[in-house]
Amino acid sequence: MIRIGLRDARAHLGRFVMSIIAIALGVSFVVGSFCFREMMNNQVDQMMASNSDADVYVRGSKEQKGAAATDAMGSSGSSSGSDSGGSSETKTYNRIDISLTDTIAKVEGVARAEAVYQVSGLVLVDKSGNAVSTMGGVTSSLGLKDGTWRSASLVKGRWARTKHEIALHTFAAETAGLEVGDTTKLVYPDGAVDVKVVGLFSTTSSQAGAIIIGLAPEVAKDYFQQQSGQVGTARYLAVYGSANGGQPLSEAQQQRLADRINEALPAGSKAVAITGQHVRDSNAEATKKALGFVQPLILIFAVIALFVGSFIIANTFSMIVRESMRGYALLRSIGASPAQVFVTVVVQAIVLGLMGSLIGIGLGWIMVKGIVALMAHMGTPMTGSSNPSVSDMLVGLVVGVLVTLIGASLPARRAAMAPPIQAMNETVNPEKPVWPRGVAGTAMIVCGAASWVLCWRIAAANNDGVAVSPWGWLNDAASAMGTGWPLGVGAGLVVIGVIVLAPALVGPTSVVLGWIPAHVFTVTGRLATRNLARGKRRTANTAAALFVGVAIVSCLGVVASSAKASVAGIVDSGLKSDFSAMSASDGRIPDDAIEAIRKTDGVGSVSQSRMLMGVTYGSGDDRTQAMTFAEQPSLFTKVFAPVTHAGDADKALRDGELVVGIAVAKDNGWKVGDTVRVNGRQVVVDKEATAKAQAEYQAQVEAKVSGLQAEAQQLLASGDAAGAQAKASKARQAAEDAKNVDPSTLVKTKTTLTHVKVRIGAIIENSVYRSMVLMNDETAGKVTNEYTMFTIMLFVNAARGEDLGALKARLIKAVKPYYVVNVQDREEFKSTMSTMVDQILLVLYALLALSIVIAVFGIVNTLALSVSERTKEIGLLRAIGTSRAQVRGMLGIEAAIIAVFGTVMGMVTGVAAGVVIRAVYEANGLSSLSVPWGQLGVFLALSIVVGLVASVSPASRALRQPVLDAVAAE
Amino acid sequence: MARHNAQHNVRRGGRNTETVGNETEREERDHVVARAVDLVKTYGDADNLVTALDHVNVEFERGRMTAIMGPSGSGKSTLMHCMAGLDQPTSGQVFVEGLEVSAMNQRQLTRLRRQQIGFIFQSFNLVPTLSAEENILLPLQIARKPIDRDWFDQVVRVVGLEQRLTHRPSQLSGGQQQRVACARAMMARPSVIFADEPTGNLDSRSSREVLGFLKQSVADYGQSIVMVTHDPRAASYADRVLVLADGHITQDLDHPTYERILEVFADGTGDDGADA
Repeated sequence: MIRIGLRDARAHLGRFVMSIIAIALGVSFVVGSFCFREMMNNQVDQMMASNSDADVYVRGSKEQKGAAATDAMGSSGSSSGSDSGGSSETKTYNRIDISLTDTIAKVEGVARAEAVYQVSGLVLVDKSGNAVSTMGGVTSSLGLKDGTWRSASLVKGRWARTKHEIALHTFAAETAGLEVGDTTKLVYPDGAVDVKVVGLFSTTSSQAGAIIIGLAPEVAKDYFQQQSGQVGTARYLAVYGSANGGQPLSEAQQQRLADRINEALPAGSKAVAITGQHVRDSNAEATKKALGFVQPLILIFAVIALFVGSFIIANTFSMIVRESMRGYALLRSIGASPAQVFVTVVVQAIVLGLMGSLIGIGLGWIMVKGIVALMAHMGTPMTGSSNPSVSDMLVGLVVGVLVTLIGASLPARRAAMAPPIQAMNETVNPEKPVWPRGVAGTAMIVCGAASWVLCWRIAAANNDGVAVSPWGWLNDAASAMGTGWPLGVGAGLVVIGVIVLAPALVGPTSVVLGWIPAHVFTVTGRLATRNLARGKRRTANTAAALFVGVAIVSCLGVVASSAKASVAGIVDSGLKSDFSAMSASDGRIPDDAIEAIRKTDGVGSVSQSRMLMGVTYGSGDDRTQAMTFAEQPSLFTKVFAPVTHAGDADKALRDGELVVGIAVAKDNGWKVGDTVRVNGRQVVVDKEATAKAQAEYQAQVEAKVSGLQAEAQQLLASGDAAGAQAKASKARQAAEDAKNVDPSTLVKTKTTLTHVKVRIGAIIENSVYRSMVLMNDETAGKVTNEYTMFTIMLFVNAARGEDLGALKARLIKAVKPYYVVNVQDREEFKSTMSTMVDQILLVLYALLALSIVIAVFGIVNTLALSVSERTKEIGLLRAIGTSRAQVRGMLGIEAAIIAVFGTVMGMVTGVAAGVVIRAVYEANGLSSLSVPWGQLGVFLALSIVVGLVASVSPASRALRQPVLDAVAAE
Repeated sequence: MARHNAQHNVRRGGRNTETVGNETEREERDHVVARAVDLVKTYGDADNLVTALDHVNVEFERGRMTAIMGPSGSGKSTLMHCMAGLDQPTSGQVFVEGLEVSAMNQRQLTRLRRQQIGFIFQSFNLVPTLSAEENILLPLQIARKPIDRDWFDQVVRVVGLEQRLTHRPSQLSGGQQQRVACARAMMARPSVIFADEPTGNLDSRSSREVLGFLKQSVADYGQSIVMVTHDPRAASYADRVLVLADGHITQDLDHPTYERILEVFADGTGDDGADA
């Protein structure tokens, strides 16, 4: 029996092509997605191992909530380069005093302990004078010297010692086209500075496109303190153990060292030592989680492909079984059992499944390699292994074969159940009624829609404080659930509900969709429409492939277009200024650039948005953080028109009161008229300490110089003139070096905490300001000072009657030397968002194209099956005078209706989902709804084309059949 | 109406053959609706050659019902398929209304089927998704011809389907389905209807109804019908019976009785047996 099956499989190979392609595509996505995830994980692990390579970390012992937002905004300072990935998932702990390093260094087995400072937002200028940027994006700058980063080793030159020197990671140097000895510009937070590349270093893993710059440790510390607004503290201290002579410690050794350090830490230090492995694992986990969304996205399309694949296989086997029915009947009549007949069919399925899966595994492999190559090409080299593991391959194989078996099982059963003498009547078994599916599907859709409504109510409740529903228990459950769950459950229910319901829709829909063809092409149109209603389940399943793909794309299309429209809406309705300027790196605009803009000819007024670092509200444990900005009193008249919720925003700002975004006000239960305590920090130069530090340094240098001179004298006395000469020049060199030292590195600062009570003057709803607190410069000056406040954005109004185009050109010229400052007019301000959204859409379109390809296979296959079932009918039509063109037309209309059916279902569902998502996230900036009708229209037109294309091959097949064969009596 | 139509066809037939023959020949052609000239049809390759039709010459008269009989493998179905343009003869010519069917391409064949030929098959005559009425009107709609409602009513009344027009084929009995098929074949008023075992799947009562209708259409409307059957009872309704054996016409009977056919048939098969 198996031999018969294998022989049949060989005979049917041609017909299996489509099934094999479908299975291969599905499997390739499964394997590719697993493989891609593993590659990313591998990369993350590698980067963790090289970037967080300390044996023990000492960090704060108390977890902090809500701090992440401000830290992510302003700066990110950790003791290592570990958070170059998305660190939003990482827990934040209280900062610890860096003076602990002395205590730790004395612990037995510690080679060195120190805080490594990372400064974000620096921009490196490449050889040709442009800012360096890569797909990998981030530029991170670390204070590095010998030994601070074990995994980094100098390849050439030396580490940086002053603000005017840098060492570059080899990838950074390559990207920027810089060599040791070259001079370029580095844009520090406070402006561009000429720097000399003094060294190159490499790391053990690739950095996924990150540009890493090694700064002088003191310089890095300075900027870090400026950015974080805290002096003398760090989030992590990195500790290297000495046990293995410079090699990394084993996990047990790490643990022992950590225990020893913990013992040595003073009681009040609020610090704790943990092993490096622990930090790496938890950081890696957080990063992997952040990247985790990629795999499900790929898997959705794998599921579509496999769903269609199993369906195509079922169709193919139905055809084969139908044609071989006599053979099976013969086998049965000579004594084969149903199980044996079943086996002959299943063997074919296994052969097919194996072939498809193997091809799929290969394709998946190629796909991931392609992605890696593409990413490397775009500047994000990956060294993570991109080869599928054995388990990936097995998963692919099992999935592929299983799907094939599922698809083939029903036809195989039909073959097995063939009575020994099969009456070959062509009467197609009437379908089971579809109304139960209609009822079930409708019920699911209603539940899904209810879930969406609930979700929308919850979101509304969160924003406007209205009750979710009149029922108390539901309100409690809803507030516990949040919006994510009901949204997801609703979407799932609606999608599955539509798929369940679809067969019941085929009848009415084909009448509606068939109306035009039935009137334009009277006969063929009517025949086509009726044919579709014949196999309602089959038609619906065929359309489902397009349905899912189109639903996803149109849902995201609505969200994307709403996002664009919302931004455009803000600009159109609220933004009053003519230009805006932002930093292209992480936010800070250098003061000199601001000055340059102010001085530009034709500028009427400049509004400056300055962010206040580390501001908290309230007292004691109830302190909350909020993004706080200092603005000019003219903000609401010249830059943004306020959308006031309560109070008078303009007056409040002018009077030095707080203007609070509605989200912040809700979170804290603030009302207009409340008085809140604002806590800030002011960093001032500690004159005493600075003088002392300078004196100490002076003394140190003098001691060194005089020491050297003394040695020179001694050597001279002992007759070694050359040696004395060398020592003397060394002494001179030391004195010279001391003169070159940037005096700012010796400036000591101290932080004073401030507490100011301010009245809340207004609550505003503008989506840009929703989660911010605004105050005027005067009030801000009481809370912070220039060290803890920096400019994020500028809004420029042109002088009356100024030519905007010319002014823009002058502004761009004015900020050119600062590299990072972007001047945009109103249109560009709108389009920054649009470009981003468009890029995301591009990826979506690629996925859509894929689901269309799969759907075409599905339609081709369904039509082929349908044609093979209707051989006689088509023959009859031909015999009574139907032309070839009419047959083609009929099948074309059928296919087009299937495609349009799936597309319309997908659009309706997708747009509905998009509308719900928009409503739920209204507070997060999706303030206006925009449905991309033009785009949807294109989809619809495209679906008709897709259908027509898909019908070409089945129609040719139908016509190839001689009329005689079709109608001749058996 | 039918007469008029037939005359119309006659004129056309005449015009087409004008160049071929002289006046007497034309006269002859006028009462011939279809003919085969030296028709040969073989299957298979040289090693394994099966001759289904062996130099068959035959003419089918206008306004008569001709039955083609013969045992299995005698070539009766092949003859009909070649006559109707469903099958391509190996050599020889086929004319329907003076048009050479055997030399036609697909487009011309489609036109021929729309204008000159009606079909009734043994089974699967109707499009299952269309109602009886839609099936009957289908050939006209396919050919985008205007529908003659009077003629439709007349045909439907004759086949007795007035009450069943909105039914789908699956809701009709086998006899009713065949009557719908007959009505459909009649509807376009073709020059000739080819019926392939039209009663093959029917019980005797339904067979009588269908055959009665076919005979009536010949008598009342001058319809030409060529019917393949192996049922002597069905053949006895015909005006003329041709008997085929091994690709040759062995008998040509004019208005034979049922008994006569049985007798001939018994001889024919007997002869075959003796030959073998």
